[in-house]
Amino acid sequence: MNSLLLPDLFILLQGFTVLGIDLFSRKREPVVTFQLTWSGLLFNFILLLCLPYDRTVVFFGTYQVSGLALLFKQIFVISAFFTVLLSRYYFTEKGNFRGPMRAMGEFYGIVLFCTFGMFTVVSATGLLTLFIGMELATIPLYVLSAFRKGDDLSAEASTKFIVMGALSTGILLFGYSFIYGAVGSLRFVNILAFATQYPLHPLLFLGLLFIFAAIGFKLTLFPFHMWAPDVYEGAPTPVTAFISVSSKATAIAFLIVLLYGPLAPLHPRLQYLILLLAGATMTVGNLGALKQKNLCRFMAYSSIAQAGYILLALAGQAEMGRASIIYYLLIYAAANYATFFIISIVSQKRTEEFASLRGLGKQSPTLAAILLLSMFSLAGIPPLAGFIGKFMLFASAAQEGYYFMVIFAALNSTVSLYYYLLLIKEAYILQPTAGPMVFEVSFVQQSSLAILTVFMILLGLVPMISTKILLIVQ
Amino acid sequence: MTLQNCLILTLFLFAIGVYGVLTRRHLIGILLSIEIILNAANINFIAFARFTTADPTAGAIFPVFVMAVSACEMAVALAIIISMYRHRKNLDVRELEALHG
Repeated sequence: MNSLLLPDLFILLQGFTVLGIDLFSRKREPVVTFQLTWSGLLFNFILLLCLPYDRTVVFFGTYQVSGLALLFKQIFVISAFFTVLLSRYYFTEKGNFRGPMRAMGEFYGIVLFCTFGMFTVVSATGLLTLFIGMELATIPLYVLSAFRKGDDLSAEASTKFIVMGALSTGILLFGYSFIYGAVGSLRFVNILAFATQYPLHPLLFLGLLFIFAAIGFKLTLFPFHMWAPDVYEGAPTPVTAFISVSSKATAIAFLIVLLYGPLAPLHPRLQYLILLLAGATMTVGNLGALKQKNLCRFMAYSSIAQAGYILLALAGQAEMGRASIIYYLLIYAAANYATFFIISIVSQKRTEEFASLRGLGKQSPTLAAILLLSMFSLAGIPPLAGFIGKFMLFASAAQEGYYFMVIFAALNSTVSLYYYLLLIKEAYILQPTAGPMVFEVSFVQQSSLAILTVFMILLGLVPMISTKILLIVQ
Repeated sequence: MTLQNCLILTLFLFAIGVYGVLTRRHLIGILLSIEIILNAANINFIAFARFTTADPTAGAIFPVFVMAVSACEMAVALAIIISMYRHRKNLDVRELEALHG
Protein backbone atom coordinates (compact mmCIF):
# COMPACT_ATOMS: atom_id res chain seq x y z
CA MET A 1 0.00 0.00 0.00
CA ASN A 2 1.27 3.40 -0.90
CA SER A 3 1.96 6.02 1.75
CA LEU A 4 -0.02 8.64 -0.16
CA LEU A 5 -3.29 7.17 1.10
CA LEU A 6 -2.23 7.37 4.76
CA PRO A 7 -3.76 10.80 5.63
CA ASP A 8 -7.17 9.74 4.35
CA LEU A 9 -7.11 6.42 6.17
CA PHE A 10 -5.81 8.08 9.30
CA ILE A 11 -8.55 10.71 9.45
CA LEU A 12 -11.23 8.07 8.89
CA LEU A 13 -9.80 5.89 11.65
CA GLN A 14 -9.56 8.92 13.90
CA GLY A 15 -13.21 9.78 13.27
CA PHE A 16 -14.36 6.29 14.24
CA THR A 17 -12.09 6.27 17.30
CA VAL A 18 -13.41 9.60 18.55
CA LEU A 19 -17.02 8.54 18.03
CA GLY A 20 -16.33 5.17 19.67
CA ILE A 21 -14.75 6.77 22.74
CA ASP A 22 -17.70 9.13 22.99
CA LEU A 23 -20.09 6.18 22.77
CA PHE A 24 -18.45 3.96 25.38
CA SER A 25 -17.09 6.60 27.74
CA ARG A 26 -18.73 6.90 31.16
CA LYS A 27 -18.36 10.66 31.21
CA ARG A 28 -20.97 12.81 29.53
CA GLU A 29 -18.47 15.11 27.85
CA PRO A 30 -15.20 13.15 27.46
CA VAL A 31 -12.43 15.74 27.14
CA VAL A 32 -10.12 13.03 25.80
CA THR A 33 -11.98 13.27 22.46
CA PHE A 34 -10.80 16.86 22.18
CA GLN A 35 -7.20 15.91 22.91
CA LEU A 36 -7.35 13.04 20.42
CA THR A 37 -8.89 15.17 17.69
CA TRP A 38 -6.51 18.09 17.79
CA SER A 39 -3.39 15.98 18.24
CA GLY A 40 -4.51 13.64 15.47
CA LEU A 41 -5.13 16.52 13.10
CA LEU A 42 -1.73 17.99 13.94
CA PHE A 43 -0.12 14.62 13.28
CA ASN A 44 -2.04 14.39 10.01
CA PHE A 45 -0.74 17.80 8.97
CA ILE A 46 2.86 16.79 9.67
CA LEU A 47 2.23 13.57 7.76
CA LEU A 48 0.93 15.61 4.81
CA LEU A 49 4.07 17.76 4.86
CA CYS A 50 6.28 14.67 4.71
CA LEU A 51 4.61 13.04 1.70
CA PRO A 52 6.08 13.34 -1.81
CA TYR A 53 4.30 16.03 -3.86
CA ASP A 54 5.62 15.15 -7.30
CA ARG A 55 3.73 11.92 -7.81
CA THR A 56 0.22 11.06 -8.94
CA VAL A 57 -1.09 7.71 -7.84
CA VAL A 58 -4.51 6.25 -8.62
CA PHE A 59 -5.96 3.77 -6.15
CA PHE A 60 -8.46 1.17 -7.38
CA GLY A 61 -9.14 3.34 -10.44
CA THR A 62 -11.36 5.71 -8.47
CA TYR A 63 -9.24 7.55 -5.93
CA GLN A 64 -6.36 9.70 -7.06
CA VAL A 65 -3.76 11.45 -4.93
CA SER A 66 -1.63 14.16 -6.53
CA GLY A 67 0.38 17.15 -5.30
CA LEU A 68 -2.61 19.42 -5.86
CA ALA A 69 -4.85 17.13 -3.79
CA LEU A 70 -2.28 17.06 -0.98
CA LEU A 71 -2.10 20.86 -0.90
CA PHE A 72 -5.88 21.08 -0.60
CA LYS A 73 -5.79 18.42 2.11
CA GLN A 74 -3.37 20.62 4.04
CA ILE A 75 -5.90 23.45 3.94
CA PHE A 76 -8.72 21.17 5.07
CA VAL A 77 -6.67 19.74 7.94
CA ILE A 78 -5.56 23.20 9.12
CA SER A 79 -9.15 24.41 8.98
CA ALA A 80 -10.48 21.42 10.92
CA PHE A 81 -7.65 21.83 13.47
CA PHE A 82 -8.54 25.43 14.24
CA THR A 83 -12.26 24.67 14.28
CA VAL A 84 -11.60 22.06 16.94
CA LEU A 85 -9.50 24.47 19.00
CA LEU A 86 -12.07 27.24 18.55
CA SER A 87 -14.96 25.03 19.62
CA ARG A 88 -13.32 23.77 22.82
CA TYR A 89 -14.35 26.75 24.90
CA TYR A 90 -17.91 26.66 23.59
CA PHE A 91 -18.45 23.36 25.43
CA THR A 92 -17.77 24.97 28.81
CA GLU A 93 -20.27 26.76 31.02
CA LYS A 94 -18.79 30.25 30.59
CA GLY A 95 -17.86 29.73 26.96
CA ASN A 96 -20.50 31.79 25.21
CA PHE A 97 -23.41 34.11 25.84
CA ARG A 98 -25.74 31.63 24.14
CA GLY A 99 -24.93 28.99 26.76
CA PRO A 100 -22.76 25.87 26.56
CA MET A 101 -22.91 23.44 23.65
CA ARG A 102 -23.39 19.72 24.35
CA ALA A 103 -22.12 16.42 22.90
CA MET A 104 -18.47 17.28 22.41
CA GLY A 105 -17.40 13.85 21.13
CA GLU A 106 -20.04 13.81 18.41
CA PHE A 107 -19.07 17.31 17.31
CA TYR A 108 -15.45 16.32 16.78
CA GLY A 109 -16.41 13.05 15.11
CA ILE A 110 -18.62 14.91 12.65
CA VAL A 111 -15.90 17.48 11.91
CA LEU A 112 -13.47 14.64 11.14
CA PHE A 113 -15.89 12.81 8.82
CA CYS A 114 -16.70 16.07 7.09
CA THR A 115 -12.99 16.64 6.49
CA PHE A 116 -12.71 13.14 5.06
CA GLY A 117 -15.49 14.05 2.62
CA MET A 118 -13.49 17.08 1.54
CA PHE A 119 -10.46 14.82 1.01
CA THR A 120 -12.61 12.71 -1.30
CA VAL A 121 -13.64 15.71 -3.40
CA VAL A 122 -10.04 16.57 -4.27
CA SER A 123 -9.14 12.92 -4.88
CA ALA A 124 -11.97 12.11 -7.28
CA THR A 125 -11.29 10.56 -10.68
CA GLY A 126 -14.91 10.35 -11.75
CA LEU A 127 -18.24 12.06 -11.32
CA LEU A 128 -19.43 9.34 -8.93
CA THR A 129 -16.56 9.83 -6.47
CA LEU A 130 -16.96 13.58 -6.83
CA PHE A 131 -20.65 13.37 -5.99
CA ILE A 132 -20.14 11.11 -2.98
CA GLY A 133 -17.31 13.33 -1.72
CA MET A 134 -19.37 16.49 -2.08
CA GLU A 135 -22.24 14.93 -0.12
CA LEU A 136 -19.90 13.56 2.55
CA ALA A 137 -18.54 17.08 2.92
CA THR A 138 -21.91 18.88 3.10
CA ILE A 139 -24.31 16.62 5.00
CA PRO A 140 -22.20 16.85 8.22
CA LEU A 141 -22.31 20.64 7.91
CA TYR A 142 -26.12 20.59 8.16
CA VAL A 143 -25.83 18.59 11.37
CA LEU A 144 -23.14 20.89 12.74
CA SER A 145 -25.16 24.03 12.04
CA ALA A 146 -28.05 22.55 14.04
CA PHE A 147 -25.75 21.67 16.94
CA ARG A 148 -27.36 23.99 19.47
CA LYS A 149 -30.46 21.91 19.85
CA GLY A 150 -32.09 24.21 22.36
CA ASP A 151 -31.47 27.33 20.32
CA ASP A 152 -34.19 28.74 18.13
CA LEU A 153 -31.81 30.54 15.75
CA SER A 154 -29.61 27.47 15.25
CA ALA A 155 -32.67 25.43 14.22
CA GLU A 156 -33.79 28.08 11.78
CA ALA A 157 -30.31 28.48 10.30
CA SER A 158 -29.91 24.75 9.75
CA THR A 159 -33.38 24.50 8.20
CA LYS A 160 -32.52 27.19 5.67
CA PHE A 161 -29.14 25.58 5.07
CA ILE A 162 -30.45 22.09 4.40
CA VAL A 163 -33.29 23.19 2.13
CA MET A 164 -30.86 25.20 0.00
CA GLY A 165 -28.20 22.49 0.16
CA ALA A 166 -30.55 19.69 -0.85
CA LEU A 167 -31.89 21.77 -3.73
CA SER A 168 -28.35 22.42 -4.94
CA THR A 169 -27.60 18.69 -4.74
CA GLY A 170 -30.57 18.02 -7.01
CA ILE A 171 -29.41 20.63 -9.52
CA LEU A 172 -25.85 19.25 -9.37
CA LEU A 173 -27.08 15.75 -10.16
CA PHE A 174 -29.13 17.04 -13.05
CA GLY A 175 -25.98 18.64 -14.43
CA TYR A 176 -23.98 15.41 -14.00
CA SER A 177 -26.65 13.47 -15.85
CA PHE A 178 -26.27 15.67 -18.94
CA ILE A 179 -22.51 15.30 -18.92
CA TYR A 180 -22.94 11.55 -18.60
CA GLY A 181 -25.45 11.67 -21.44
CA ALA A 182 -23.01 13.47 -23.70
CA VAL A 183 -19.92 11.46 -22.86
CA GLY A 184 -21.38 8.10 -21.99
CA SER A 185 -19.00 7.62 -19.09
CA LEU A 186 -18.46 9.00 -15.61
CA ARG A 187 -14.67 8.80 -15.64
CA PHE A 188 -12.66 12.01 -15.97
CA VAL A 189 -10.31 10.45 -18.54
CA ASN A 190 -13.18 9.73 -20.92
CA ILE A 191 -14.81 13.10 -20.27
CA LEU A 192 -11.52 14.86 -21.08
CA ALA A 193 -11.12 12.85 -24.30
CA PHE A 194 -14.68 13.67 -25.35
CA ALA A 195 -14.42 17.36 -24.46
CA THR A 196 -11.18 17.69 -26.42
CA GLN A 197 -12.87 16.18 -29.45
CA TYR A 198 -16.19 18.06 -29.22
CA PRO A 199 -15.60 21.20 -27.13
CA LEU A 200 -18.84 22.75 -28.38
CA HIS A 201 -21.18 19.87 -27.54
CA PRO A 202 -24.44 21.48 -26.26
CA LEU A 203 -25.10 18.81 -23.61
CA LEU A 204 -21.73 19.52 -21.99
CA PHE A 205 -22.59 23.21 -21.70
CA LEU A 206 -26.07 22.44 -20.38
CA GLY A 207 -24.56 20.17 -17.75
CA LEU A 208 -21.93 22.71 -16.83
CA LEU A 209 -24.57 25.41 -16.45
CA PHE A 210 -26.45 23.29 -13.90
CA ILE A 211 -23.19 22.45 -12.13
CA PHE A 212 -22.29 26.14 -11.88
CA ALA A 213 -25.72 26.95 -10.44
CA ALA A 214 -25.36 24.16 -7.88
CA ILE A 215 -21.83 25.00 -6.83
CA GLY A 216 -22.90 28.64 -6.67
CA PHE A 217 -24.91 27.71 -3.59
CA LYS A 218 -21.90 26.16 -1.87
CA LEU A 219 -19.48 28.90 -2.89
CA THR A 220 -22.08 31.65 -2.19
CA LEU A 221 -21.87 33.10 -5.70
CA PHE A 222 -24.07 36.07 -6.51
CA PRO A 223 -27.59 34.91 -7.29
CA PHE A 224 -27.33 31.99 -4.87
CA HIS A 225 -25.74 33.67 -1.84
CA MET A 226 -28.92 34.56 0.09
CA TRP A 227 -28.71 31.71 2.58
CA ALA A 228 -25.20 32.51 3.78
CA PRO A 229 -25.80 35.48 6.13
CA ASP A 230 -28.69 33.75 7.88
CA VAL A 231 -26.80 30.49 8.32
CA TYR A 232 -23.62 32.24 9.48
CA GLU A 233 -25.56 34.20 12.08
CA GLY A 234 -27.67 31.33 13.39
CA ALA A 235 -25.14 28.48 13.43
CA PRO A 236 -22.79 28.08 16.41
CA THR A 237 -19.74 30.31 15.83
CA PRO A 238 -17.11 27.52 15.46
CA VAL A 239 -19.34 25.97 12.82
CA THR A 240 -19.64 29.35 11.09
CA ALA A 241 -15.86 29.52 10.93
CA PHE A 242 -15.71 25.97 9.59
CA ILE A 243 -18.34 26.69 6.92
CA SER A 244 -16.69 29.93 5.88
CA VAL A 245 -13.29 28.31 5.32
CA SER A 246 -13.62 24.57 4.72
CA SER A 247 -16.89 24.53 2.83
CA LYS A 248 -15.74 27.36 0.59
CA ALA A 249 -12.40 25.65 -0.01
CA THR A 250 -14.23 22.44 -0.96
CA ALA A 251 -16.45 24.24 -3.43
CA ILE A 252 -13.52 26.00 -5.10
CA ALA A 253 -11.54 22.73 -5.09
CA PHE A 254 -14.50 21.12 -6.84
CA LEU A 255 -14.42 23.82 -9.55
CA ILE A 256 -10.64 23.48 -9.91
CA VAL A 257 -10.91 19.71 -10.25
CA LEU A 258 -13.55 20.04 -12.97
CA LEU A 259 -12.49 23.14 -14.89
CA TYR A 260 -8.76 22.45 -15.02
CA GLY A 261 -9.29 18.71 -15.30
CA PRO A 262 -11.85 16.94 -17.50
CA LEU A 263 -13.61 20.09 -18.73
CA ALA A 264 -10.41 22.05 -19.48
CA PRO A 265 -11.19 22.30 -23.24
CA LEU A 266 -14.32 24.28 -22.34
CA HIS A 267 -12.45 26.67 -20.06
CA PRO A 268 -11.68 29.39 -22.67
CA ARG A 269 -15.41 29.70 -23.42
CA LEU A 270 -16.31 29.91 -19.73
CA GLN A 271 -13.99 32.77 -18.84
CA TYR A 272 -16.60 35.47 -19.40
CA LEU A 273 -19.15 33.60 -17.27
CA ILE A 274 -16.57 33.25 -14.49
CA LEU A 275 -15.62 36.93 -14.67
CA LEU A 276 -19.26 38.00 -14.62
CA LEU A 277 -20.04 35.81 -11.60
CA ALA A 278 -16.89 36.97 -9.81
CA GLY A 279 -17.61 40.65 -10.40
CA ALA A 280 -21.24 40.40 -9.31
CA THR A 281 -20.35 38.32 -6.26
CA MET A 282 -17.69 40.67 -4.92
CA THR A 283 -19.90 43.71 -5.47
CA VAL A 284 -22.89 42.16 -3.73
CA GLY A 285 -20.74 40.94 -0.84
CA ASN A 286 -19.08 44.31 -0.35
CA LEU A 287 -22.29 46.31 -0.57
CA GLY A 288 -24.04 43.90 1.77
CA ALA A 289 -21.29 44.13 4.38
CA LEU A 290 -21.54 47.92 4.59
CA LYS A 291 -24.70 48.01 6.66
CA GLN A 292 -24.18 45.04 8.97
CA LYS A 293 -24.24 45.26 12.74
CA ASN A 294 -23.85 41.59 13.66
CA LEU A 295 -20.30 40.24 13.55
CA CYS A 296 -21.14 36.80 12.12
CA ARG A 297 -23.43 38.29 9.49
CA PHE A 298 -20.66 40.74 8.66
CA MET A 299 -18.20 37.85 8.25
CA ALA A 300 -20.74 36.17 5.93
CA TYR A 301 -20.82 39.13 3.57
CA SER A 302 -17.06 39.51 3.83
CA SER A 303 -16.64 35.86 2.84
CA ILE A 304 -19.06 36.32 -0.08
CA ALA A 305 -16.82 39.12 -1.34
CA GLN A 306 -13.73 36.95 -0.81
CA ALA A 307 -15.39 34.18 -2.83
CA GLY A 308 -15.69 36.72 -5.66
CA TYR A 309 -11.97 37.50 -5.55
CA ILE A 310 -11.09 33.81 -5.45
CA LEU A 311 -13.35 33.04 -8.40
CA LEU A 312 -11.63 35.79 -10.40
CA ALA A 313 -8.41 33.76 -10.41
CA LEU A 314 -10.28 30.83 -11.94
CA ALA A 315 -10.44 32.78 -15.20
CA GLY A 316 -6.66 32.43 -15.53
CA GLN A 317 -4.53 29.58 -16.78
CA ALA A 318 -4.30 26.33 -14.86
CA GLU A 319 -0.95 26.73 -13.06
CA MET A 320 -1.36 30.33 -11.96
CA GLY A 321 -5.04 29.86 -11.14
CA ARG A 322 -4.46 26.81 -8.97
CA ALA A 323 -1.39 28.21 -7.21
CA SER A 324 -2.92 31.59 -6.42
CA ILE A 325 -6.18 30.06 -5.18
CA ILE A 326 -4.44 27.59 -2.86
CA TYR A 327 -2.13 30.29 -1.52
CA TYR A 328 -5.01 32.69 -0.98
CA LEU A 329 -7.10 30.02 0.76
CA LEU A 330 -4.29 29.52 3.30
CA ILE A 331 -4.12 33.27 3.98
CA TYR A 332 -7.89 33.60 4.07
CA ALA A 333 -8.11 30.69 6.53
CA ALA A 334 -5.55 32.28 8.86
CA ALA A 335 -7.21 35.72 8.86
CA ASN A 336 -10.72 34.30 9.17
CA TYR A 337 -9.87 32.00 12.07
CA ALA A 338 -8.05 34.80 13.89
CA THR A 339 -11.16 36.98 13.56
CA PHE A 340 -13.45 34.20 14.73
CA PHE A 341 -11.22 33.52 17.75
CA ILE A 342 -11.55 37.18 18.71
CA ILE A 343 -15.31 37.09 18.14
CA SER A 344 -15.50 34.01 20.37
CA ILE A 345 -13.50 35.73 23.13
CA VAL A 346 -15.54 38.92 22.95
CA SER A 347 -18.87 37.10 22.88
CA GLN A 348 -18.29 35.18 26.10
CA LYS A 349 -20.60 37.53 27.94
CA ARG A 350 -21.77 40.00 25.32
CA THR A 351 -23.72 39.47 22.12
CA GLU A 352 -22.00 39.16 18.74
CA GLU A 353 -22.69 42.78 17.80
CA PHE A 354 -20.21 45.37 16.54
CA ALA A 355 -20.76 47.36 19.72
CA SER A 356 -19.41 44.48 21.82
CA LEU A 357 -15.94 45.23 20.48
CA ARG A 358 -15.92 48.69 22.06
CA GLY A 359 -13.11 49.21 24.53
CA LEU A 360 -11.10 46.23 23.26
CA GLY A 361 -8.18 48.48 22.29
CA LYS A 362 -7.82 49.79 25.86
CA GLN A 363 -8.60 46.66 27.75
CA SER A 364 -6.61 44.17 25.73
CA PRO A 365 -4.22 45.82 23.24
CA THR A 366 -2.90 42.45 22.03
CA LEU A 367 -6.31 41.17 21.00
CA ALA A 368 -7.13 44.46 19.32
CA ALA A 369 -3.82 44.37 17.46
CA ILE A 370 -4.52 40.85 16.21
CA LEU A 371 -7.97 41.97 15.08
CA LEU A 372 -6.32 44.87 13.26
CA LEU A 373 -3.84 42.53 11.57
CA SER A 374 -6.48 40.09 10.43
CA MET A 375 -8.76 42.84 9.12
CA PHE A 376 -5.85 44.37 7.18
CA SER A 377 -4.94 40.95 5.88
CA LEU A 378 -8.53 40.36 4.67
CA ALA A 379 -8.59 43.80 3.07
CA GLY A 380 -5.16 43.29 1.47
CA ILE A 381 -2.89 45.95 2.99
CA PRO A 382 0.71 45.60 1.69
CA PRO A 383 3.03 44.16 4.32
CA LEU A 384 0.55 41.45 5.25
CA ALA A 385 -0.17 38.12 3.62
CA GLY A 386 -3.54 39.23 2.26
CA PHE A 387 -1.90 41.67 -0.13
CA ILE A 388 0.39 39.12 -1.76
CA GLY A 389 -2.50 36.66 -1.96
CA LYS A 390 -4.81 39.15 -3.64
CA PHE A 391 -2.01 40.28 -5.92
CA MET A 392 -1.55 36.71 -7.14
CA LEU A 393 -5.30 36.22 -7.61
CA PHE A 394 -5.56 39.36 -9.70
CA ALA A 395 -2.36 38.51 -11.57
CA SER A 396 -3.93 35.23 -12.63
CA ALA A 397 -6.80 37.11 -14.30
CA ALA A 398 -4.46 39.80 -15.64
CA GLN A 399 -2.32 37.22 -17.44
CA GLU A 400 -5.32 36.49 -19.61
CA GLY A 401 -5.68 40.18 -20.39
CA TYR A 402 -8.76 40.97 -18.35
CA TYR A 403 -7.40 44.26 -17.03
CA PHE A 404 -10.84 45.81 -16.75
CA MET A 405 -11.93 43.12 -14.29
CA VAL A 406 -8.72 43.51 -12.31
CA ILE A 407 -9.31 47.24 -11.94
CA PHE A 408 -12.91 46.54 -10.95
CA ALA A 409 -11.75 44.06 -8.32
CA ALA A 410 -9.15 46.49 -6.98
CA LEU A 411 -11.85 49.17 -6.61
CA ASN A 412 -14.02 46.61 -4.87
CA SER A 413 -11.32 45.85 -2.36
CA THR A 414 -11.10 49.56 -1.60
CA VAL A 415 -14.77 49.45 -0.64
CA SER A 416 -14.02 46.44 1.52
CA LEU A 417 -11.26 48.36 3.31
CA TYR A 418 -13.93 50.82 4.49
CA TYR A 419 -16.01 48.22 6.30
CA TYR A 420 -13.03 46.35 7.68
CA LEU A 421 -11.92 49.69 9.15
CA LEU A 422 -15.37 50.12 10.72
CA LEU A 423 -14.55 47.11 12.88
CA ILE A 424 -11.21 48.64 13.86
CA LYS A 425 -13.00 51.87 14.71
CA GLU A 426 -15.29 50.01 17.10
CA ALA A 427 -12.33 48.34 18.76
CA TYR A 428 -10.05 51.38 19.09
CA ILE A 429 -11.91 54.67 18.88
CA LEU A 430 -15.51 54.43 20.07
CA GLN A 431 -16.06 54.72 23.81
CA PRO A 432 -17.70 51.73 25.51
CA THR A 433 -21.27 52.34 26.62
CA ALA A 434 -21.41 49.42 29.05
CA GLY A 435 -18.81 48.71 31.73
CA PRO A 436 -15.50 46.96 31.07
CA MET A 437 -15.59 43.64 29.28
CA VAL A 438 -15.50 40.41 31.19
CA PHE A 439 -13.63 37.68 29.39
CA GLU A 440 -11.02 35.03 29.96
CA VAL A 441 -8.49 34.04 27.34
CA SER A 442 -7.68 30.39 27.83
CA PHE A 443 -4.32 28.85 26.97
CA VAL A 444 -5.78 27.16 23.88
CA GLN A 445 -7.06 30.48 22.57
CA GLN A 446 -3.80 32.28 23.33
CA SER A 447 -1.65 29.73 21.56
CA SER A 448 -3.98 29.46 18.53
CA LEU A 449 -4.05 33.22 18.15
CA ALA A 450 -0.26 33.30 18.38
CA ILE A 451 0.09 30.64 15.67
CA LEU A 452 -2.42 32.38 13.41
CA THR A 453 -0.73 35.77 13.81
CA VAL A 454 2.68 34.35 12.95
CA PHE A 455 1.06 32.62 10.00
CA MET A 456 -0.56 35.85 8.75
CA ILE A 457 2.71 37.76 8.85
CA LEU A 458 5.03 34.99 7.66
CA LEU A 459 2.93 33.95 4.66
CA GLY A 460 3.27 37.48 3.36
CA LEU A 461 6.96 37.96 4.09
CA VAL A 462 8.33 34.59 3.06
CA PRO A 463 7.94 34.30 -0.72
CA MET A 464 9.29 30.75 -0.59
CA ILE A 465 5.88 29.31 0.26
CA SER A 466 4.06 30.70 -2.75
CA THR A 467 6.89 29.68 -5.06
CA LYS A 468 6.77 26.18 -3.68
CA ILE A 469 3.01 25.95 -4.23
CA LEU A 470 3.49 27.14 -7.80
CA LEU A 471 6.14 24.48 -8.35
CA ILE A 472 3.93 21.72 -6.99
CA VAL A 473 0.85 22.47 -9.06
CA GLN A 474 2.73 22.73 -12.34
CA MET B 1 -40.33 5.04 -25.68
CA THR B 2 -37.47 7.12 -26.97
CA LEU B 3 -34.71 9.16 -25.37
CA GLN B 4 -36.57 12.32 -26.28
CA ASN B 5 -39.68 11.25 -24.36
CA CYS B 6 -37.61 10.49 -21.29
CA LEU B 7 -35.82 13.83 -21.44
CA ILE B 8 -39.09 15.73 -21.81
CA LEU B 9 -40.45 13.84 -18.80
CA THR B 10 -37.40 14.63 -16.67
CA LEU B 11 -37.42 18.29 -17.65
CA PHE B 12 -41.07 18.48 -16.61
CA LEU B 13 -40.29 16.74 -13.33
CA PHE B 14 -37.39 19.13 -12.73
CA ALA B 15 -39.59 22.13 -13.45
CA ILE B 16 -42.31 20.81 -11.14
CA GLY B 17 -39.71 20.29 -8.41
CA VAL B 18 -38.26 23.78 -8.71
CA TYR B 19 -41.74 25.30 -8.84
CA GLY B 20 -42.63 23.33 -5.72
CA VAL B 21 -39.55 24.50 -3.83
CA LEU B 22 -40.31 28.10 -4.71
CA THR B 23 -44.03 28.12 -3.97
CA ARG B 24 -44.64 25.53 -1.24
CA ARG B 25 -45.09 27.01 2.20
CA HIS B 26 -44.79 23.81 4.20
CA LEU B 27 -41.27 22.49 4.83
CA ILE B 28 -42.28 18.88 4.18
CA GLY B 29 -43.75 19.96 0.86
CA ILE B 30 -40.42 21.57 -0.05
CA LEU B 31 -38.56 18.35 0.80
CA LEU B 32 -40.96 16.38 -1.41
CA SER B 33 -40.29 18.80 -4.27
CA ILE B 34 -36.55 18.31 -3.81
CA GLU B 35 -37.08 14.53 -3.99
CA ILE B 36 -38.86 15.06 -7.32
CA ILE B 37 -35.79 16.92 -8.64
CA LEU B 38 -33.48 14.12 -7.49
CA ASN B 39 -35.66 11.52 -9.16
CA ALA B 40 -35.73 13.54 -12.38
CA ALA B 41 -31.94 13.32 -12.39
CA ASN B 42 -32.15 9.58 -11.72
CA ILE B 43 -34.49 9.01 -14.67
CA ASN B 44 -32.11 11.06 -16.79
CA PHE B 45 -29.22 8.77 -15.89
CA ILE B 46 -31.22 5.64 -16.60
CA ALA B 47 -32.50 7.02 -19.90
CA PHE B 48 -29.01 7.94 -21.10
CA ALA B 49 -27.68 4.57 -19.96
CA ARG B 50 -30.46 2.75 -21.80
CA PHE B 51 -30.42 4.63 -25.08
CA THR B 52 -27.10 6.21 -25.88
CA THR B 53 -23.97 5.21 -24.11
CA ALA B 54 -21.10 2.83 -24.48
CA ASP B 55 -20.84 2.25 -20.74
CA PRO B 56 -24.38 1.62 -19.47
CA THR B 57 -23.41 0.14 -16.10
CA ALA B 58 -22.10 3.45 -14.73
CA GLY B 59 -25.36 5.21 -15.52
CA ALA B 60 -27.39 2.40 -14.03
CA ILE B 61 -25.37 2.32 -10.80
CA PHE B 62 -25.35 6.08 -10.24
CA PRO B 63 -29.06 6.28 -9.26
CA VAL B 64 -28.49 3.62 -6.59
CA PHE B 65 -25.85 5.83 -5.00
CA VAL B 66 -28.09 8.85 -5.39
CA MET B 67 -30.92 7.06 -3.58
CA ALA B 68 -28.67 6.05 -0.69
CA VAL B 69 -27.18 9.52 -0.33
CA SER B 70 -30.49 11.32 -0.65
CA ALA B 71 -31.94 9.00 2.00
CA CYS B 72 -29.18 10.19 4.37
CA GLU B 73 -29.83 13.78 3.41
CA MET B 74 -33.57 13.44 4.01
CA ALA B 75 -32.97 11.74 7.36
CA VAL B 76 -30.90 14.71 8.47
CA ALA B 77 -33.45 17.12 7.01
CA LEU B 78 -36.33 15.48 8.86
CA ALA B 79 -34.36 15.52 12.12
CA ILE B 80 -33.68 19.22 11.68
CA ILE B 81 -37.30 19.89 10.80
CA ILE B 82 -38.46 18.06 13.94
CA SER B 83 -36.17 20.21 16.08
CA MET B 84 -37.53 23.24 14.22
CA TYR B 85 -41.09 22.13 15.03
CA ARG B 86 -40.24 21.78 18.72
CA HIS B 87 -39.26 25.43 18.81
CA ARG B 88 -41.89 27.01 16.64
CA LYS B 89 -44.86 24.58 16.63
CA ASN B 90 -45.21 25.55 13.01
CA LEU B 91 -43.54 24.56 9.74
CA ASP B 92 -44.60 27.44 7.53
CA VAL B 93 -41.49 28.79 5.77
CA ARG B 94 -42.87 32.32 5.76
CA GLU B 95 -42.58 32.30 9.54
CA LEU B 96 -38.84 31.61 9.32
CA GLU B 97 -37.75 35.18 9.73
CA ALA B 98 -35.97 35.44 13.06
CA LEU B 99 -32.76 35.71 11.03
CA HIS B 100 -32.90 38.52 8.49
CA GLY B 101 -31.24 41.76 7.45
